[in-house]
Amino acid sequence: MQEKSLENFLDKKTIIVDLKVNTKEEVIKVIAERFYEEGYIDSIKEFIGAVYEREKEGVTGIGNHVAIPHGKSNTVKRNGVAIAILDHEIEWDSLDDTGAKVVVLFDIGENSEGAKEHLKMLSVFARKLGKKEVIDYLLKAKSIDDVINAFKK
Amino acid sequence: MKIVGISACTVGIAHTYLAQQKIEDAAKKVGDEVKIETQGTIGTENKLTKEEIQEADIIILAVDVKISGEERFKGKKVVKVSTETAIKSPNKLVEKLHEIVEKEN
Repeated sequence: MQEKSLENFLDKKTIIVDLKVNTKEEVIKVIAERFYEEGYIDSIKEFIGAVYEREKEGVTGIGNHVAIPHGKSNTVKRNGVAIAILDHEIEWDSLDDTGAKVVVLFDIGENSEGAKEHLKMLSVFARKLGKKEVIDYLLKAKSIDDVINAFKK
Repeated sequence: MKIVGISACTVGIAHTYLAQQKIEDAAKKVGDEVKIETQGTIGTENKLTKEEIQEADIIILAVDVKISGEERFKGKKVVKVSTETAIKSPNKLVEKLHEIVEKEN
């Protein structure tokens, strides 16, 4: 059951594949813009600010070519997650020597009391990112469906 | 061996749960029993019981922030690391826990 709800929780509109960017700044901007277009956030600028605040606290590259930046901000209207599969690996400070080819960006509201259910899904989702099978599949994802299928692993 | 512990990171959204998954997988791989409580934005989940703590051979805290209920582990062997360490090298971490427990006995 949990598996099914995790699929429902992923929004196809915030999954981007074959993204051609060269820097961390670019990918964060592209995702922030997507969040804005899809009604997740009110302000691109504020949200990006929150993401960089978190970046200062420690590396968000979790190794194995995956980065999980996140922004917690008042500008977030809907908690969510965006997944970008890049067309090539870019530089990103990480726990190993890899950069980022997969970028998973969480957007979280400051006041998330009413969104417990959703936050719970986020935690289930975060755990999945700790699984090598999921990451191996994600790294090869060519389509939005591939990305969603990765989390069925 | 029985391992229990807590994971908690600064934002309480991602690293907490990643660390939990990594430690659990690494411990199970070598045949350990393991349970990791998470203290994140949604609050405490997978809460450790008194018995579980009592029966544990070692306590692992993968934490970047102050956690609640640390006094529960009084008198137990406690190892504290960052969530980054747990995520980066879970296998090594579990190996280390084994070494510590073996040395004690």
